[in-house]
Amino acid sequence: MMDLAKPEQFDLDRLAEELGALPDAPLAMPVQQLESRPVTGGLLSLLRPRFGRMGKAGH
Amino acid sequence: MGAADAPQTRVYVTRTLTLTASLLAAGLGFIVFLQFGASDGFDAFDVLRAVLIFASTFWLAWGAFTALAGLTTRPPAVPRDAGPIRAMTAVLVPVYNEDPVATFARIAAMDASLRATGFGERFHFAILSDTRNDEVAARERIWFLRLLADTHGEGRMFYRRRTSNKGRKAGNIEDFIKRAGAAYKYAIILDADSLMEGATMVEMVRRMEAAPDLGLLQTLPTIIRAKSRFGRTMQFAGSFYSPIFARGLAMMQGRTGPFWGHNAIVRMHAFAESCALPELSGKPPFGGHILSHDYVEAALLARAGWTVRVDDDLTGSYEEAPENIIDHAKRDRRWCQGNLQHSRLLLAPGLKAWSRFVFLQGILAYIAPGFWLAFLAASIAAPLFAPPIDYFPIEYWPFPVIPVSQVSKALGLAVGIGGLLFLPKMLILLDAALRGRTRRFGGTIRALQSTLTELLFSSITAPIFLMFQTRSVLQVLRGADGGWPAQTRGDGTLSFGDAWAASHWIVTTGGVVLVMAQWLSPQLVPWLLPVALPMALAPVIIAWSSRASTSALFTVETELAAAPVMLLADRTLTRWQDFEADATAA
Repeated sequence: MMDLAKPEQFDLDRLAEELGALPDAPLAMPVQQLESRPVTGGLLSLLRPRFGRMGKAGH
Repeated sequence: MGAADAPQTRVYVTRTLTLTASLLAAGLGFIVFLQFGASDGFDAFDVLRAVLIFASTFWLAWGAFTALAGLTTRPPAVPRDAGPIRAMTAVLVPVYNEDPVATFARIAAMDASLRATGFGERFHFAILSDTRNDEVAARERIWFLRLLADTHGEGRMFYRRRTSNKGRKAGNIEDFIKRAGAAYKYAIILDADSLMEGATMVEMVRRMEAAPDLGLLQTLPTIIRAKSRFGRTMQFAGSFYSPIFARGLAMMQGRTGPFWGHNAIVRMHAFAESCALPELSGKPPFGGHILSHDYVEAALLARAGWTVRVDDDLTGSYEEAPENIIDHAKRDRRWCQGNLQHSRLLLAPGLKAWSRFVFLQGILAYIAPGFWLAFLAASIAAPLFAPPIDYFPIEYWPFPVIPVSQVSKALGLAVGIGGLLFLPKMLILLDAALRGRTRRFGGTIRALQSTLTELLFSSITAPIFLMFQTRSVLQVLRGADGGWPAQTRGDGTLSFGDAWAASHWIVTTGGVVLVMAQWLSPQLVPWLLPVALPMALAPVIIAWSSRASTSALFTVETELAAAPVMLLADRTLTRWQDFEADATAA
């Protein structure tokens, strides 16, 4: 019987890890697409200001 | 029309009626205010204020008509099945720097409650620790072993701590599913302060079994164990009004119901296939991890064709709530950031229209107080921009034309807006009295007293919340990330000094509002007092409302008779706290 009043008697990390280990039953979780890249990349890019890259006219 | 189409038709009818009624109320507010504002000459400020009244009134009306919709119906009849359940269910308890003694005592109580149903072996508990504090984590390990020993839970109870808390709570659940999800057909997702009767969990599994298209079933958790004046007021409001609001919402949501992040059951493979959240491009607060993940997960399940439902008739589902206004505001700050982040997802591909509308509603919930504030500011500043009154508007007419007073219109508008706030709650009281529901709240007279006091209290605290919410919105808009603070639980008594430190800026704002109004629009001062006075008294209200409540007002069912699982949790907690005190003394 464990005496939990004296936790230093045990390697609690190891014990908790062993007794608490999750069942080994992996299930895939494919990442969902939420950002509509074509729209933001396409339409919004037209609205994005590009002052820094404007070519100078004239001289 | 087939039988299956009938509920969906009812959903569309409810949506249309609620939306139309809200737009009509908002439109009426707009027109009445325009007439009032134009009485001393028409200018752009009148239009601006009328638009702000439209937006604010729409939001209030939406809430009011949702409650009215909820009053028109009863919970749908769900077929009862008393047979055995064979599916395995994981009960997930994510923890983050919580007190392990209290949290694990609740788990022991739920386990005992489940075993009493005879189906304890069909449920496993997984404590999913994202705790960053090593000392708290060390206590978690000790108390996990104690939990195992007390419940004979080896093989049924699991504990794992993540080394990195990537994705926060959503990432924590995702990590569990990726490692162990295939072992279970369902997962009941809880919060650290959640508590559920075993019979409720069994019933949730049965309802999932009975509806193979059901991806997520949300319960309506009841707030319990509130001790402070603020906490007990919220507890009463949550228990008395929320079921009606939730039912109204459910009538409009149909198959696209809500997920509130906890006290819900999900179909494991549906959740796994549909709900892995990406990290949004860019930095927080709008980029990075999705904070209010629950709304998004509900939307993703619906996108994948699963039904998401809230069953407000499921009792025995509990949670705790903040005990003071400051803790409430801190939690609200996190929700505000999460909801505003949803603006990135409004155009996400494939979402149901209602899911997009839910995102929009969540955003509006935080922006709408700003409409009121802008309206007040515009009203105070309006005289600066108003044209002088023209007493001789008719050419060659020798007598002055005195403008007709439109104060009655302003009064009418104020009464209308007040009605939108108060009428639904009074109707809920009437409904509860007629159906005998008030018995659970100390009787009809006590429920009436509690409702009236709650209306007064919520009116007084509304300007304080308005300020906190507006500050949260401004913080998010200027790019400040609120982080992921652990929730404060337990006794939340605040000294006046604590309250002052957290709200002195509200006092200053209230003072500035009154001074500006006195200077620019003295006639507005009486109208502004209900807003400005609570702001000026914010620290007093915050400190006072955080004190322990001994009043018989705000009595709720769980105070009259604690639920069985609450008693189980109390017994375990007392035993464990005594044990910890003895161990510390030794």
